[in-house]
Amino acid sequence: MSDDEHHFESSDAGASKTYPQQAGNIRKGGHIVIKGRPCKVVEVSTSKTGKHGHAKCHFVAIDIFTSKKLEDIVPSSHNCDVPHVNRVDYQLIDISEDGFVSLLTDNGSTKDDLKLPTDEALLTQLKNGFEEGKDIVVSVMSAMGEEQMCALKEVGPK
Amino acid sequence: MLGFPNGSGVGGVGPEDLAQLQSTMRAIELACSYIQINSNPVAAEATILSLHKSPQPYKACRYILENSQVANARFQAAAAIREAAIREWSFLATDDKGGLISFCLGYVMQHANSSEGYVLSKLSSVAAQLMKRGWLEFTPAEKEVFFYQINQAILGSRGLDVQFIGINFLESLVSEFSPSTSSAMGLPREFHENCRKSLEQNFLKTFYQWAKDAALSVTNKIIASHSSVPEVKVCNATLRLMYQILNWEFRYSKGGGTRASINVFSDGIRVDNALARKTECVIVQPGASWCDVLLSSSHVGWLINLYSSVRQKFDLEGYWLDCPVAVSARKLIVQLCSLAGEIFPSNNAQMREQHLLLLLSGVLPWIDPPDVISKEIEEGKSGSEMIDGCRALLSIGTVTTPVVFDQLLRSLRPFGTLTLLSMLMGEVVKVLMANSTDEETWSYEARDILLDTWTTLLASMDGSGGNAWLPPEGMHAAASLFSLIVESELKVASASATTEDDADCLASVSAMDERLGSYALIARAAVDATIPFLAKLFSDRVARLHQGRGTVDPTETLEEVYSLLLIIGHVLADEGEGETALVPDAVQSHFVDFVEANNHPVVVLSSSIIKFAEQCLDAEMRSSIFSPRLMEAVIWFLARWSFTYLMLVEDCNLGSNQLQSLPSRACLFTFFNEHNQGKFVLDIIVRISLTSLMSFPGEKDLQELTCFQLLHALVRRRNICFHLLSLDSWRNLANAFANDKSLFLLNSVSQRSLAQTLVLSAYGMQSSDASNQYVKDLMAHMTSSLVDLTNNSDLKNLAQQPDIIMLVSCVLERLRGAASATEPRTQRAVYEMGLSVMNPVLRLLEVYKHESAVIYLLLKFVVDWVDGQLSYLEAHETAVVINFCMSLLQIYSSHNIGKISLSLSSTLLNEAKTEKYKDLRALLQLLSHLCSKDMVDFSSDSIETQSTNISQVVYFGLHIITPLITLELLKYPKLCFDYFSLISHMLEVYPETLAQLNNDAFSHVLTTVDFGLHQQDVDIVTMCLRALKALASYHYKEKNAGNLGLGSHAAGHTDPNGVFHEGILSRFLRTLLHFLLFEDYSTDLVSTAADALFPLILCEPNLYQGLGNELIEKQANPNFKTRLANALQVLTTSNQLSSSLDRLNYQRFRKNLNNFLVEVRGFLKTR
Repeated sequence: MSDDEHHFESSDAGASKTYPQQAGNIRKGGHIVIKGRPCKVVEVSTSKTGKHGHAKCHFVAIDIFTSKKLEDIVPSSHNCDVPHVNRVDYQLIDISEDGFVSLLTDNGSTKDDLKLPTDEALLTQLKNGFEEGKDIVVSVMSAMGEEQMCALKEVGPK
Repeated sequence: MLGFPNGSGVGGVGPEDLAQLQSTMRAIELACSYIQINSNPVAAEATILSLHKSPQPYKACRYILENSQVANARFQAAAAIREAAIREWSFLATDDKGGLISFCLGYVMQHANSSEGYVLSKLSSVAAQLMKRGWLEFTPAEKEVFFYQINQAILGSRGLDVQFIGINFLESLVSEFSPSTSSAMGLPREFHENCRKSLEQNFLKTFYQWAKDAALSVTNKIIASHSSVPEVKVCNATLRLMYQILNWEFRYSKGGGTRASINVFSDGIRVDNALARKTECVIVQPGASWCDVLLSSSHVGWLINLYSSVRQKFDLEGYWLDCPVAVSARKLIVQLCSLAGEIFPSNNAQMREQHLLLLLSGVLPWIDPPDVISKEIEEGKSGSEMIDGCRALLSIGTVTTPVVFDQLLRSLRPFGTLTLLSMLMGEVVKVLMANSTDEETWSYEARDILLDTWTTLLASMDGSGGNAWLPPEGMHAAASLFSLIVESELKVASASATTEDDADCLASVSAMDERLGSYALIARAAVDATIPFLAKLFSDRVARLHQGRGTVDPTETLEEVYSLLLIIGHVLADEGEGETALVPDAVQSHFVDFVEANNHPVVVLSSSIIKFAEQCLDAEMRSSIFSPRLMEAVIWFLARWSFTYLMLVEDCNLGSNQLQSLPSRACLFTFFNEHNQGKFVLDIIVRISLTSLMSFPGEKDLQELTCFQLLHALVRRRNICFHLLSLDSWRNLANAFANDKSLFLLNSVSQRSLAQTLVLSAYGMQSSDASNQYVKDLMAHMTSSLVDLTNNSDLKNLAQQPDIIMLVSCVLERLRGAASATEPRTQRAVYEMGLSVMNPVLRLLEVYKHESAVIYLLLKFVVDWVDGQLSYLEAHETAVVINFCMSLLQIYSSHNIGKISLSLSSTLLNEAKTEKYKDLRALLQLLSHLCSKDMVDFSSDSIETQSTNISQVVYFGLHIITPLITLELLKYPKLCFDYFSLISHMLEVYPETLAQLNNDAFSHVLTTVDFGLHQQDVDIVTMCLRALKALASYHYKEKNAGNLGLGSHAAGHTDPNGVFHEGILSRFLRTLLHFLLFEDYSTDLVSTAADALFPLILCEPNLYQGLGNELIEKQANPNFKTRLANALQVLTTSNQLSSSLDRLNYQRFRKNLNNFLVEVRGFLKTR
């Protein structure tokens, strides 16, 4: 690598929400923007345009927020948009009656604008665990201006 | 009495009985009609089933058969007789057994002209099954009575219908006795095998003779009459029966009877079948005793004559070729073509040739002259006869050598059989060319069969030493056929140029590969003609490309060049498949007139292709001619070619020794070596590779071909590495790899492979120091970029950026590639490379805990690195690596235990599961590699000074990851394999540590072992058995030494509810015994199982005694009871078996167990 290519500089708050990346390099398990939505790629296949043409990639991907399936075909040497997906862990400090959770951020303040998951089983597990006094860490995923709880983990009793 | 006393009718039935019988009949009739109109089928089925299940339903069945007007009801009655008789056989009186069979046979003969054939065949088959059931009880005289009746029927004295019935019965009988088609009877395997042996030795030939006689009796009528006569049906049946008898898998024909023992360990049927079907042609080997029936009695002549006369008679009626009787006759003829073995006396080669000649002369009208026949078929005649003709050629080719094959036809025609084969296939290829529809037509089938024939003939020649060539005329035939084939392939290629590539492309590529392999065999049979021919075609097409450049659409020509490259690659070189591919014998031994390399046809052809490939270096040429697809063919060709021809080391790529002195061969070999053109060509190849990597962005297939096939094949050859490192082009490649951004855009597997290739090439440096320095320079950028990144204060945010994720993935892939290329010469550099990124790796594991794709790459890097390094490391270095791995395991498990994904999408949830599975597999591999340090250790300090106890480490690791492993996950075969290889290794080497595990962990491990024992995979079961052996022998030895051994785990315990739980060794003894006695497994497992069973028995002698008695008690048959008791006795006493666990005793027990199983599984296992 020549020196000017990689400066590991922190992107500030207004940094772009997506990055260009060659379609041929986007792999299964990676992220991609299709029709303006941030998605996780679950299937990539390549084919050619005509016998002696260039390769193109066929993506099947799942919207990371809505779980909708989306597809796209892009020549493999062209660029695609890849969303900047950020995940942050918070400690769960409260579950409010109106379906919101209260989370503890790294700097000690609270974050109260996230909704509880809709899945009934998970919801019960979350509530039970919380009531039993277990320590619960919630992972929150954000991309392209949206955010959502994506995973939780019990780290043991208090 | 059961209503079947011999000869008496329904006379003895009282009036109440009659009413009862009538009502049963009505009920069954009603049920049958309900089923037919599908009204309340469940109840109807229940009614019928109750008849099947009722005790001794024979009277009712007989009543129905004799009185019912409903055919289905009679069918069901027949089925019920079979069910009940098989079930109640041992309680039936001897008279009744015979009576039942006689009744069935009598019934079918009486009703022989009935129109409901299916009822008759059902009864025939019931009779056959009952006959088999009683086969070993009936005296020869009793059998004689039945067969006399059958023989009379078959001779035709009771009319055609009865004759047909008799033959039909024999067909059922033969199929019942043949293991692959027999019906289940709930009897020991031994029984079936004895029946089969008895039939093969005493009856099969007689049946064939009867069938022949029956056929002879109707032949004249058929030939004489001018329309279809009822005799045809009988004739067809006899032909089918003969075919079926010859299809019998003859086992007892060999004098010594070496194959005569049954395989008691598996059902065997599937395996045998699978093998037989693989080659399309089954060789018939009935043994010497069949000579009189098949050969010396002019049987073949009669058959050929029959077919040809009838064929002539119905010449005008096209449908006749597909009539059942015609099809059966041809099938039998083709089958006789593959007759082989001891039936031909070894001192009489002529007899065999005469036999084949006779058949060939009979088959000839089906296929000769080829052009006329193919024209007729295209005009609407059926192709089945011609295809059978091709099959006959294949059969003859299978049982003869090429020379004999070719000679056969010479007495009938002015040319040899090879010429005919060539003409025939040429015709077929022409037809294929003319109608290039996708429809599967006769010509496809014919082409495949004929190609198989060529392959069979030529491959047999290939193995015989290389000096046996086809006769000149045969070569000519092969050459002209090959040119036709190439022509047709090119035509197909240019026609397909405009069609879009389909999804099934991959399947067709491997099919094509196989086909090209066969074509190459044909081409090599006549290299003198075919290689110059290919050279001319290639230069023609290339000239055409240049002429039309910029003005004409080149697609069609490109496609032709593509196909030509593949064909030439197959002709010139074999696929190495990891071995060094030799220059084909044909290429080495021919071209004797060429002593100057520049004129040698192989050199000319190779050079012209390399020259063409070189043009891709020019940007303009590249854009106009070298499409990605064409580049793929170029790279593929270069890889295959260079592996066989480039810089050969004498004495390494040599074929047979007699050829060495040929000057033509020497000039071919030296032309591309290091003193001549070799280095120049190598340089071109490297430059082409770099171009294909840099100038075809996003072409994944091309990049993979370049990295995996071409470059990787080059560095695998040590002598080439020396030259590579001296080339500027190789330096450019290495530079681009380290610095050029465009190589960061390669596909990830290609990245890894490229890193591996470059590190491997360091072997070519003069000294170990220089090699290490080379690797260091190569990888310095990668390691420093990871270190810089993880030192960044804002790593947490930065790491989530897509471009950084991509950079990290890329670097990790490259590190992994380099790690997997570790060799003694470069080990230092690779170790330091890993050492410098240890901390960054742990940091990344933390920040990417949600980015599973990166985590996986990271784990795989560590796995490969540890694998490559560990055996070389000194104690203090080992400690560093082990601590690093422990931290890695801890961090990983702390992130993953108890983690729940909240995604709503089932696809994403499944993906998450798969990712987890892959991670776990990597971790298991890591633990296994750590284990290996105790086994393979090249370090200078001795084991005693080792500061770390590997077993503790791995057990600690196992503690961390076993909670993540579930039985669900073990269903993934690869994970299962890795897990059990680790477990069995651990138990074998460190059984004492297992005993220290807490109860939960201990039982978890053993539950998985139990699970593993019931897997299908032989390897998994073997590993579990080895684990068991280790466990039991550890316990036994410890106990004897007065120690605790497995302690409470082995003793069993009583739970608070007062229920006793068996110890684990007892549990496994039970499981293992059941497995050995009653389940299907491969013979390979017996020795390993013996090794596990022996210590288990020693640990739990009382339980073993109890289980043995239980088993004996269960046997109903007193004979089996004694046999089993004896066998159990012998198992533990014979061969001076004693109760110490040493090598000698293990060996003895293995032998004992094997004998034991052979003795008892024959009757314990039923079918």
